[in-house]
Amino acid sequence: MKNSDNIILKNINKSYQKGKNTVVVHRDFNLTIESGEFVTLMGPSGLGKSTLLHLMGGLDQPTSGEVIIGTQRIDDLKQASLTQWRAENIGFVFQSHHLLPVLSAQGNVELPLALTSLNKKQRQEHASYALELVGMSDRASHFPKELSGGQEQRVAIARAIVSDPHILLCDEPTGNLDRQTANEILALLDQLNRDFGKTIVMVTHDKKAANYASRVINLESYIGEAHNCHMGENR
Amino acid sequence: MNLLVLVWRNSFRKKVRFWLTCTSVMVAFFLLTTLSGVDQALTANVSSSNQYRLMTSHKISMTQSLPINTQQKIAALPGVKKVSFASWFGGYFQNEKNQLPVTAVDHHHYFNLFDEYIIPGEQLAQWKKTRTGIVIGQGLADKYGWKIGDTVPLSSSIWMNKSGSFNWSFTVSAIYQTAQHSSADNKVFFQHAYFDKGRAYANDSLGWLSTEITENANVDDVITAIDLLFSHTNNPTRTTTEQVFIKEQAQQFVDMAMVINLVVVAVFSTLLLIVCNTMIQTIRERNNESAMMKALGFSATRLIQGIYLEALLLIGLGALVGSILASLSLALVGQSFNDFLPGISIKPSHYLTVFAWVNIAAAFCTVFPAVAIKQLVISKTLGDKA
Repeated sequence: MKNSDNIILKNINKSYQKGKNTVVVHRDFNLTIESGEFVTLMGPSGLGKSTLLHLMGGLDQPTSGEVIIGTQRIDDLKQASLTQWRAENIGFVFQSHHLLPVLSAQGNVELPLALTSLNKKQRQEHASYALELVGMSDRASHFPKELSGGQEQRVAIARAIVSDPHILLCDEPTGNLDRQTANEILALLDQLNRDFGKTIVMVTHDKKAANYASRVINLESYIGEAHNCHMGENR
Repeated sequence: MNLLVLVWRNSFRKKVRFWLTCTSVMVAFFLLTTLSGVDQALTANVSSSNQYRLMTSHKISMTQSLPINTQQKIAALPGVKKVSFASWFGGYFQNEKNQLPVTAVDHHHYFNLFDEYIIPGEQLAQWKKTRTGIVIGQGLADKYGWKIGDTVPLSSSIWMNKSGSFNWSFTVSAIYQTAQHSSADNKVFFQHAYFDKGRAYANDSLGWLSTEITENANVDDVITAIDLLFSHTNNPTRTTTEQVFIKEQAQQFVDMAMVINLVVVAVFSTLLLIVCNTMIQTIRERNNESAMMKALGFSATRLIQGIYLEALLLIGLGALVGSILASLSLALVGQSFNDFLPGISIKPSHYLTVFAWVNIAAAFCTVFPAVAIKQLVISKTLGDKA
């Protein structure tokens, strides 16, 4: 496990075409997340929270600027290298778990390990351990349709951590869950951060999530402060 | 869990759709294999002929007779070694369902020219001495249990005899074999002299002539000489090599095969598009899963490999079952059609063709899903909600 994987977004500009119009999502955005932090990105819809998460995970690329994870600049990596890098360094948890319905919980968690050189037995062992960590050992042979929403999300978290990435990027992981289950998931992420040193960046609208995070970034005020600061410098 | 397990499970995710599509593929390969068997029969009959023997018939049509003395006139031409003749009898045994290729032949020379029919010397001599004698193929003897000396009644759908009946009586005098067990071992030959004297009309005529040329003769020169000899008579001739002659006879079947071929190609293409459409639909339904797998680190190439293997499984299974069913059907149908169109069989190389087609079809069906996977933008597919 790497402990010096700071996440640095430097002078990020991100825009996209919507019909004839160019929509600017981020302009000169800067952010540094230290290795081992548990950061929540909050704020109203449309500010580009998920876009930031996608940029950090190499799922999307900035129009300009730099995305540096540890010592690796990822925004200029070619697609094949980026895919390989992602498999080794990042775990994703989405609002919709996107588990494969044809595979059991064990099979779903083993899926990312198909890309590694581990043999069948080792893959099974790793997956069993990940399921144990999220408290789903007794449901290993169950298929997604046989699990509750919270259980599915736990399996998705097990899948995200099974290849032992240092960074977990979570996009509204509690968005589809009731309060109690959401708290359980947040506690689980907190445990992964505290006990295993995972750097966690979580996009959420859930105010309770702030209780678990080491840093809460309200994107609306963060962007505003950065803008004022920038204007001050110009004066 | 590995990629093959995932391919297998994904394939049977929608069982009804899988089996319906697989059945469509099966029908296509059933047709392809069946046609290949029929095509093989037609090709085999043409290629077994001798390209150095000439065939002469009436210029207007094969059904027009030529005078019996045509043989002597051709025999006198330079470059001609042997000449024999024959007439089509059009026979059947007991009822018209049991059609037999029966030919009346010049018993003096016919088997000198057609030495591919292997007949024991004493049997051939006996046949030449027996006016009502027939030479039959070993296949036919086995089929009906006919032995030397048996009296066999055969009927003609064309030729009435002088007693006003279409029934003719024959005696089995000889049984021929061929070097390789082939389509030719179901024929019946009898003396042209018996036929000519016995028939009620068209006496002193023959159906066609077979000519063997000398070793240093030029085939084209002899053909020209024969046709020139009769060009200003009432019975002009048309001479070709035996191969061309048989090809022309088979042409009607070959043309039919071509039509069937076109139909099969049309059906095959349509089914290919159906499979292709199924694969596209399948991938579209799994868009989110593909995006998630890409996010997990699966490359587009890996995902495309999975799609190819799924297409290969679907098409391969259909092709396997279709080809096996066609082989079994042809084995049964081939026996029933042996008299009419002998030699129906499937060449081993056909299965290589099937293998190639399966791979080509699977690759074709993977193209569109592959493009979709390549163009899949993970962030957009999994939702840009913030």
